[in-house]
Amino acid sequence: MINFDITDQHSFFKLEVVEALRQVIDPELQINIIDLGLVYAVEIKEAEKQILVEMTLSSPYCPMGESILLAVKNCLELNFKDFSAQVELVWEPLWSYDKITEEGKRLLSGS
Amino acid sequence: MNSIKQDGLLYPIVIVHYLLAASCFTVLAAMLFFSVDTLSGHYFQPKLLALTHMAALGWGTLIIFGASYQLLPVVLETGLFSHKLAWFSFSFFISGLVLLVYTFWIFDPGIYMQAGGIFLLTGILLFGINIYLTGRRSKKKDAIEQEFILTACIWLLCTAILGVLLIFNFRYAFLPKDHLQFLKLHAHMGIAGWFLLLTIGVSAKLLPMFLVSSKPARKFLNLSYYLINGALILFLLDTYRYGINIKTYFILLAGAAGIVSYLIFVRSCFTSRIRKAVDPPILNTMLAFVLLAAGLIAAPFIIFYHLKNDALALRFTALYGTLLFMGWLSALILGQTFKTLPFIVWVKRYQHLAGKLKTPLPADLYKKTLLKVQSGAFVVFCLMFFPGLIAASPFFIKLGLLAFLIAAWGYFFNVLSVVLHKVKNPDHDKL
Repeated sequence: MINFDITDQHSFFKLEVVEALRQVIDPELQINIIDLGLVYAVEIKEAEKQILVEMTLSSPYCPMGESILLAVKNCLELNFKDFSAQVELVWEPLWSYDKITEEGKRLLSGS
Repeated sequence: MNSIKQDGLLYPIVIVHYLLAASCFTVLAAMLFFSVDTLSGHYFQPKLLALTHMAALGWGTLIIFGASYQLLPVVLETGLFSHKLAWFSFSFFISGLVLLVYTFWIFDPGIYMQAGGIFLLTGILLFGINIYLTGRRSKKKDAIEQEFILTACIWLLCTAILGVLLIFNFRYAFLPKDHLQFLKLHAHMGIAGWFLLLTIGVSAKLLPMFLVSSKPARKFLNLSYYLINGALILFLLDTYRYGINIKTYFILLAGAAGIVSYLIFVRSCFTSRIRKAVDPPILNTMLAFVLLAAGLIAAPFIIFYHLKNDALALRFTALYGTLLFMGWLSALILGQTFKTLPFIVWVKRYQHLAGKLKTPLPADLYKKTLLKVQSGAFVVFCLMFFPGLIAASPFFIKLGLLAFLIAAWGYFFNVLSVVLHKVKNPDHDKL
């Protein structure tokens, strides 16, 4: 779950990034990666014009892993043309179903 | 980008396995349709041997080989050991399959049947080596899924070795006991040792993933592993020594307890699932579990009638065999193909476009209508064929096999449509 600090000068930009990342869908579950809780952190490097995304996958050898990581990079560079995107894949903390947001659970349950 | 790499070399290996298995399935359905009489006779006859091996090897094993190459990296969390070994295994396997099925059909137990057996054994041995070495690279040493898969490969190898010995026994008659007694051992090593253990191992990983299950009861998997393997070893030792006897009931009970343990795990995956919608491929899989349970129910009747020397033992043997091969295994493959094949094709066709523009989802790659036709025809097959077999009604058996043929064609064209899927113009708005 990403936390936002209102005093952070990039907090609104980060929110935009998160909103953009809702377009990236897990192809099997058909839920966006934000509501799946796969994105752990977003960092903006204004000087380098770079967006850093720290995220995980549901399994280390997730068959769609590379596709999802590539989709994140493509999506950000398409939505924020002045910025380059870097995706950092992390395995700590390990993803579990508890990371799915309430909205994600609602979408998965079809209610 | 710090990333894991998809294995591009796997694509042709997996695709060619799926395509040939789908072709074998249609050939099997046609062979069955035109040889209805063989199903009501004794199980040890040339055409039935050809049909059984077409089902077990050309359909079941070939697609499991293909799916394993794709799914092993997911289950074992490591890459495949060798692509070359996979291609060698495939070449030997296919050559052996063609030779074996043809020589069984015309029953020519000579050099070609022997060569077929040796080729198949070589193909299986190479597959086993590849899986074993892949498993050794895995960091997840303690995972029960891995134990299931590796043990299944050992049983497959034992099945194939005994199969080759049986082929040579046709000509040289060197085995110390009745050929039929060894046939029972060969069949059960294949059914329980290979197919059952492998499907449990793979589904133990995939089912919670597909259903997003929060509390799968994994402890039942351990129980299932020891009960099934224990029962199988006892069955082999006891049946080799004494044939089918009263103790076989207790051995069956232990094996059944192992399957029930697995079904409890499956149930826990369903009841604790966060994803409520069940898609058509998973529905097919649920039908597979029902057919597996039905096969299990048929087994004690075989023992009962066998001990009474009643001819009904043969009918229940046919029911048991068809429930497992044409029922459980087919339903499982018919469903799971569309949970696995579209993904590998999607990665090949759309991965580079992901995030840049709207792409179809993997589930959009197969034809929903064809899947409905296939599933509907398969249900009709189950409702006609199995009761027809119990009642010894050629009419219902034939009707069931017609539905089976329709299901096979629906499946074949759907697999073909996924494999031949073309990316539309990326600039196209509707892509």
